[in-house]
Amino acid sequence: MKQTDNPRDDVLAWVNGSDAPEKHILNLGFMPLTDSASLIVAATQGFSQPYGLTLNLQRQQSWSALRDRLLNGELDAAQGLYGLVYGIQLGLGSAQTPMAVLMGLNQNGQSINLSQPMLETGVDSSQALVERALLGNTKLCLAQTFPTGTHAMWLYYWLAANGIHPLRDVDTRVVPPSLMVEHLRARRIDGFCAGEPWGAHAIEDGMGYTLATSQSVWPNHPEKVLCATQRFVEECPNAARALIMSILDASRFIDESDDNRRSTAQLISGADYVNAPLASLQPRMLGDYVDGRGNEWRDEHRLRFHGDGEVNMPYLSDGLWFMTQFRRWGLLREEPDYLAVAKQVQQLDLYQQAASALGIDLPASPLRSSTLMDGQVWDGSDPAAYARSFDLHAMTDAAVQQAN
Amino acid sequence: MLRILLINDTVKKVGKLKGALLEAGFEVIDESGLTIDLPARVQSAKPDVILIDSDSPGRDVMEQVCLFSRDLPHPIALFTDEQDPAIMRQAIQSGVSAYIIEGVESSRLKAILDVAMARFESDQQLRAELHAREQQLNERKRVEKAKGLLMKMKNCDESEAHTLMRRQAMSRQQKLIQVAEQIIAMHEMLGE
Repeated sequence: MKQTDNPRDDVLAWVNGSDAPEKHILNLGFMPLTDSASLIVAATQGFSQPYGLTLNLQRQQSWSALRDRLLNGELDAAQGLYGLVYGIQLGLGSAQTPMAVLMGLNQNGQSINLSQPMLETGVDSSQALVERALLGNTKLCLAQTFPTGTHAMWLYYWLAANGIHPLRDVDTRVVPPSLMVEHLRARRIDGFCAGEPWGAHAIEDGMGYTLATSQSVWPNHPEKVLCATQRFVEECPNAARALIMSILDASRFIDESDDNRRSTAQLISGADYVNAPLASLQPRMLGDYVDGRGNEWRDEHRLRFHGDGEVNMPYLSDGLWFMTQFRRWGLLREEPDYLAVAKQVQQLDLYQQAASALGIDLPASPLRSSTLMDGQVWDGSDPAAYARSFDLHAMTDAAVQQAN
Repeated sequence: MLRILLINDTVKKVGKLKGALLEAGFEVIDESGLTIDLPARVQSAKPDVILIDSDSPGRDVMEQVCLFSRDLPHPIALFTDEQDPAIMRQAIQSGVSAYIIEGVESSRLKAILDVAMARFESDQQLRAELHAREQQLNERKRVEKAKGLLMKMKNCDESEAHTLMRRQAMSRQQKLIQVAEQIIAMHEMLGE
């Protein structure tokens, strides 16, 4: 049989050698979200067998359940929210446990959505929302998916950039992503921030509209990660590296063409995976947005899984950013040792070994520079100052004084 | 001290438990004869607990022993009939079924099951790992074979064939290996 110069063939030697995975079966947790695509594709489309791994997908119903199973060892690795991983690392809301981010899984593709009744009462723009939130008779109730999660941070950032204090001017609730539409229908919430396909699904069901995408808050923002406990990485470094390679291969495959994206959408819409209609899932995966209030566009910063490795590199600056927001919103009462924590969590070495074995470009620096929606530049160079640079925040006075 | 009759009639080698149970301070009678004679042996050995592989064909004989013991002063019961779901779960996980003489507290079984569980957990893990390894290699071979057939049929290169197979699998919500098997089966039916 003809062999192409596939880099995968070069690395087969270690599957049976001393670099062989310590475990050949890995339990992999995921949530029913479009963002899980690379895990589902890797596990079902033969991406892990060449590295000596069988990936058992384990769908979870909530982020808390996923966290608990990761911590008690039922799951070897899982899709994780950046904020959730750092929350555990810092002991916010759960026992403090050393965690590991093995790689980034995707960028972009989350959305802030408001209910149909909001639209019908004239709240059809950011400006109208600001007026309703600040001058209305009742507090709006907005949902996100986890107290320290990315969706909380996108929602808070978006609201604050529009002059709404997320902890004072509105009520926020936590709801698992797949239940958002149900709560919207029952009018228990006025809006939510979550991953797709749940925003598109709300529109498809006539229950709401999309007010903002997460990529409009931060173009190419970090989103889900592949995470594990530090203990897993220490006990099974070869299995961890093999896992990164399997998921990298699958990510590259999804991003290779729109045909591959379409097939991916068909696969993950299945009942065993995301369990959502293809009509809700596919368009936004391709970058085709309809917002439910008459606008349509092809998004320049659509959901992506690989981007020639830019998506997958576990940048220190990505991890640092979530800690700055924890500080900003009072979740962290004291200044953390930002860089030391990020260096411990982000598995730069493992990722670099895996990426170079597959011929994937590595960026020159573990820090990257971005400009967010309010014009603020984040480049990871001075996290403590960045955390204190926002007009709207919830830092406790004592901590701020201490820091000064 | 509890007297345990260990029935050793399957590949699982329940007999390996003997050492561990003896070490834990139990009295163990090893039993590896024909299961058809089980009723008589149970009667002569008078154990407090009988341990048997959950998958043993001898289980049916034990059911018979239980049934006939109903009229004895201390009948034998499948302890999983006891109203302790936690212990029941543990027994299922540990891969042995225990029959106990009525009057023995089921809580005293916990120590026995702990030993059984530790013994079999490592065995099971090892078996599963080996099985996964074999399956991975086999799947790779089958996928390679199907890919080769498809390359000939479609006159395309390897990576194109691989992508075609994956797209087909994904659009039907199947695994790659399923599509590979379909291609091989179709090829066998149509001949060279």
